[in-house]
Amino acid sequence: MNDLVSLLALPAIWSGGNPSQVLHTLLDAMVRMLRLELASVRLIDPVSEAPVELVRTAEWRESMPSAHEIFEALSLSLEGDGHKWPQALRKILGDREVSIVPVPLGLNAELGMIVVAAERADFPRQTEALLLNIAANQAVIGLQEARLRSRQKRVADELDRKVRQRTAELVAANAELQLQVAQLQQIPVAAWTILPDGTPDFVNQNWLEYTGQSLDYVQSGPETWMSVVHPEDRERASRSYWEGIGSGRGFTAEVRFRRARDGAYRWHLNRAVALCDADGKLLKFVGTSTDIEDLKQSQEELRITQANLAHVNRVTTMGELTASIAHEVNQPLSGIITNAGTCLRMLASDPPNVEGARETARRTIRDGNRASEVITRLRALFSKKSAATQPIDLNEAAREVIALSFSEFQSGRVVVRQELGDDLPLVNGDRVQLQQVILNLLRNGSDAMSTVDDRARELLIRTELDGDDRVRLSVTDVGVGFESQAAGRLFEPFYTTKNEGMGVGLSVSRSIIERHRGRLWAMPNQGPGVTFSFSIPCKPGDLTGDHNGIGRTPSMTDAG
Amino acid sequence: MEPHQERRVSERPLVSVVDDDESVRESLPDLLGEFGFAARTFSSAEEFLASSCVDQTRCLILDVTMPGMSGPELQQELKLRRQEIPIVFITGHREDAVRPVLERGAIACLFKPFNDASLLEAINLALHPK
Repeated sequence: MNDLVSLLALPAIWSGGNPSQVLHTLLDAMVRMLRLELASVRLIDPVSEAPVELVRTAEWRESMPSAHEIFEALSLSLEGDGHKWPQALRKILGDREVSIVPVPLGLNAELGMIVVAAERADFPRQTEALLLNIAANQAVIGLQEARLRSRQKRVADELDRKVRQRTAELVAANAELQLQVAQLQQIPVAAWTILPDGTPDFVNQNWLEYTGQSLDYVQSGPETWMSVVHPEDRERASRSYWEGIGSGRGFTAEVRFRRARDGAYRWHLNRAVALCDADGKLLKFVGTSTDIEDLKQSQEELRITQANLAHVNRVTTMGELTASIAHEVNQPLSGIITNAGTCLRMLASDPPNVEGARETARRTIRDGNRASEVITRLRALFSKKSAATQPIDLNEAAREVIALSFSEFQSGRVVVRQELGDDLPLVNGDRVQLQQVILNLLRNGSDAMSTVDDRARELLIRTELDGDDRVRLSVTDVGVGFESQAAGRLFEPFYTTKNEGMGVGLSVSRSIIERHRGRLWAMPNQGPGVTFSFSIPCKPGDLTGDHNGIGRTPSMTDAG
Repeated sequence: MEPHQERRVSERPLVSVVDDDESVRESLPDLLGEFGFAARTFSSAEEFLASSCVDQTRCLILDVTMPGMSGPELQQELKLRRQEIPIVFITGHREDAVRPVLERGAIACLFKPFNDASLLEAINLALHPK
C-alpha cells in the first residue's frame, strides 16, 4: 500500500522536471520497491525519434549491463505488437538467470517501453504486476506532462528568441530611422509631411530654421505655413495647396518664403507627392521646399543679358547707321550752305551777278532735294508700314543700303562694285530686315578688309537668279578670310573673329533669312577673302514664326 | 564768260579743291570766284597729282576721307615731293582725327557744312601766313 502511495505521488515530484528526470526517479522507485535486479526504459522521442535508453540496477549488483544490451537481448523475443508480448520470460542476463517483464508505455507502447528484471522465478506476482502497470501509467502521465512542458518551453524559447531577434531588428531599424531622420533634418532643403486633411505633421529642422517657426506652431493648423509666404503669393499658394490636397495628387508651386534670418523673401519650389499604403489609401503627403532664388536670379540675369545683347546689337547698328545718315545728309547741306553763301555774295556785288546767283540758287534747290531724298529713303527704311511682308526688288533694296552706308565704306577706303542682275523677280519679305542683312554682310566684308593694304579693298555685291524660283545675293570681299573649319561656327551667336564687335550680326542675319524660308552661307574664295550669300524664294509666303524676337525690326526709338 | 575767266586765272591766286563729293566740287568754285580766287576741282588725290596745277596751286582745299589716296596721304606725298602747298582740310566726319593733319602743317580743318566766312579766313591765313 505504501508503494502504491509512493507511485501515485510521483507526478507531484516530477512536476517541472524533464522526461529524463521523470524516468530516473521512476526507475529508481521501481528498483527499490520491487527489489528488482534492474529496470530499464527505452523512450521514443517524438521529436528527434532517437530512442532514449536508461537503465537502473539494484545497488548490490556488481556489474550492470547497458540498457542497449538488455534491449538487444530481448529484441528477438519482443518483436511486434506489444499486446502479444509475454507476461514474463526467464532469460540469462549477464551471469544469472532472471525473470524479465516488459511493460509498454502507452496503449501500444507508442511512448516506449519499460523492461524490469528480477531473480525471483515467481516475478511478477499479481501485486507486483499491478504496481508495474500503475508505475507505467504514472510514467506515461509524467512523460506526457513533461513533454508538454518541454514543448511549451520550446515554444516559449522560440518565442523568446524571436522576440530577441525582432528587438534587435527594431533596434537596428530604429538606428537606421534615427539616421534617416537626422539626414532628413539636415538635408539642404525644407522637408515636410502633411496629413490627408492638410495639416502639416512633420517639418524638418531646415524649415524651422529658415522660417523661424516652431514645430508645435506648424502642427497647430492647416495653413500655419502661410504666415511666411509673400503676401502677393498667398492666394495662389493656397489655391494650389488645397487643389493638391483635395485631389490627393499633391502639388507643385513656386512661392516666396520669408527667411527669418534677414527677412528676405526668396523663391521656393514646393513639391508634394502622395504617400499611399498597399491598398492605395492615402496616408499623407511628403514634400520639399527648395530655395531656387539664386537659380531664378541667374535665369533672370541671363535673360537680361540676352536682352541687353540684342539691344546692344540694335543700338550698335543704329549708331553706325546714324553716323552714315548724318554724313549723307551733311553732304547736300554743305552744298546748300556754300551755294546760299555764294548766292548772297553774287547779289551783293556791284553790279549784282544775277545770272550767277540764279545758278547757285538752282544748285541750292537741287541739294535741298538731295537731302530730302535721303530723308525719304530713311523713312522708307524705318517706317512701321514696311515691317510687313511685301514684294521687294532686291536690287533696289541693295542700292539703298549701299547709298546709305556709302560714306562708311569710303572711310574704310572700300570700293563697292555692283553686279546687280537684270529682270530679277520680286521677292516676298520684310524689306527692312533684308536690308539689315545686306548691311551686315557689307559691313562684315568691309571689316574683313580693314587690315588689307597690298590690294584694292574691293567689295563685290551681286544679285542673280538662283534656279527658277529663288534670288541669290552675294557679297564677296578680298579680306583676311576665315579658316575653313570655322565656317560652321560663323553663324553661332557671339562667334566673332573680330577683336571688337559682338559677333551677333551673322547669327541674327541667318535667323532673318531663315524666317524668309531662305538660307545664308559662307564660302572661302579661290583667291583671298570670303563670299557670303543668301538665297530666298520669290514665291509669296508668310514669314515663318518669330524666333524669340530675334531679327525684330528696330525702330528709331530703340536707339534712344 | 570763258575767255573772261581764263584771263583772270593768271592774275588770281589758284585755289585747288580735291573732294570726291560732287556737290562740293560744284559749289566751291563759284564761292572761291566771289572771293577773288581762281579755282580748279579734282575728284581724287591721284587726279590732282597727275594735273599740271600742283605747281600753281597757292592753297589746297582737301577732303580728308576719299576712296584711294586719302587727304592726309596726299599731304604726306606733297611733303615728300617738297611741294608744300598750304592745305585747308574739310571733312564731313566729326570723328576724323584732326590733330595729326594740323600737326603736320595744315592751316585748318573745317567741318562740313562750313560757312563762307570761315573758309575765306582759312584761305587768307594760307596765302598770307602771319
